Amino acid sequence: MRKIIDFLIKKIHSLTFTFLILSSAVLIIDKNYYHNSKFNFFSNSLINIILEKKRLFTEYFELKSINERLIDENNFLRNNYSPNIDLDSIKTINNYSFNTAKIISNSIKFSKNFITINKGFNDNIEIDDGIITNNGVIGIVNNTSPKFATIISILNTDLIINARINRTKHFGSLRWDANNPRILTLYDVPKNAKIKINDTIETGGMSSIFPENIPIGKIDSFTLPVGSNYYEISVKLFEDIGSIQNVYVVKNNYKNEIKNLENPNE
Amino acid sequence: MNNTNLLVFLRFLLIVTSQILIFNNVLFFGVSPNIYLIFLIIFPLNYNKSLMYLYMFFTGLILDLFSNSYGIITFSLLISSLLRIYFLKFSFGHFDASKVRKTADYIKETSLYQKLTFLFLMYLTHQFFLFSIEAFSIEKFNWIIKKTLLSTIISIILSYIFILIFFKKNAR
Repeated sequence: MRKIIDFLIKKIHSLTFTFLILSSAVLIIDKNYYHNSKFNFFSNSLINIILEKKRLFTEYFELKSINERLIDENNFLRNNYSPNIDLDSIKTINNYSFNTAKIISNSIKFSKNFITINKGFNDNIEIDDGIITNNGVIGIVNNTSPKFATIISILNTDLIINARINRTKHFGSLRWDANNPRILTLYDVPKNAKIKINDTIETGGMSSIFPENIPIGKIDSFTLPVGSNYYEISVKLFEDIGSIQNVYVVKNNYKNEIKNLENPNE
Repeated sequence: MNNTNLLVFLRFLLIVTSQILIFNNVLFFGVSPNIYLIFLIIFPLNYNKSLMYLYMFFTGLILDLFSNSYGIITFSLLISSLLRIYFLKFSFGHFDASKVRKTADYIKETSLYQKLTFLFLMYLTHQFFLFSIEAFSIEKFNWIIKKTLLSTIISIILSYIFILIFFKKNAR
């Protein structure tokens, strides 16, 4: 015991230094979003190949549920599109192009969750592309390698998405409060909005990442905090983030143009 | 609280506040001068080492909090404080650090050339660590070098003026 104390007294300066430098390194990696994702990406790229192999194996057992989802989606598309209507009656610019990808790693247990997909910049996937399924928004690409890409999941407390209420068109910002992976909270909806339980929440067109009108969830409950002019709305997601297999990558073809227009100095 | 402790604490307050209130808002050629490194440069040599590291840690932490860069300044400041003794020996020759009572002594008794070498080494390594940790990628190496050199030159000019003002009496 005495020897240990002697040792501690002798080495006190270097021990202090080590302790302080380690705590500052922890601060850097933990608090800086960029460094955090970089470290996350390092570890991911090492195990990505293993995860991809695992996916190839387990995917076979999921074929039935994947098939059912596809049928649902086809059914939905068939109901909403009838070939007799001339879709070109109003000319619109095709802003968004889509791409498919498969999820190889996913987590919902942390407060800042990340997802990895099996396509990277070789498949023309870029940082800030959106990730959706037919049932809702999944996240935004935050890093790419030649064959893989990491995504900030919607279940990440750092990600705030512009969303609106379908019926009243009031918009707010959607954020996860790290409690229930099926429930997100919609903030900043003004109190004059006449909202009801079970109203559908969808993406608004305010960001250049997601197209409009993608369904996200429905209103589970809402409260008006005392003294506040804005509702806090609990939104139940249509999508179960923990069980998704296939996703669509949405790319805004005019992203750079919009960016240059909004920030001409950069 | 004896004289040295009080002096160090007052310097700490003065330098940290002036960095936050003034120099974080100043941009010369796209870089803001990092005056806070003076605190390390003129830190008493015979002071308790652990206390010095703690002072550097809190200086960095406060500056980090005010510039939204959690831990980056702290980390590079701690590395600089580790390297300081080697740079002192390199630029001022092998003298007994424990015998020198004040930093003012080696500022007073050495030539401009030696002082500038010391300042240059301190600032160059500090800025290099700072910008490399901030950028954290090899692709930005050009950017890191450019920023490091620019802010080193600007910070040296400003901090040399400051040191002259601080030690005006001793310098004569």
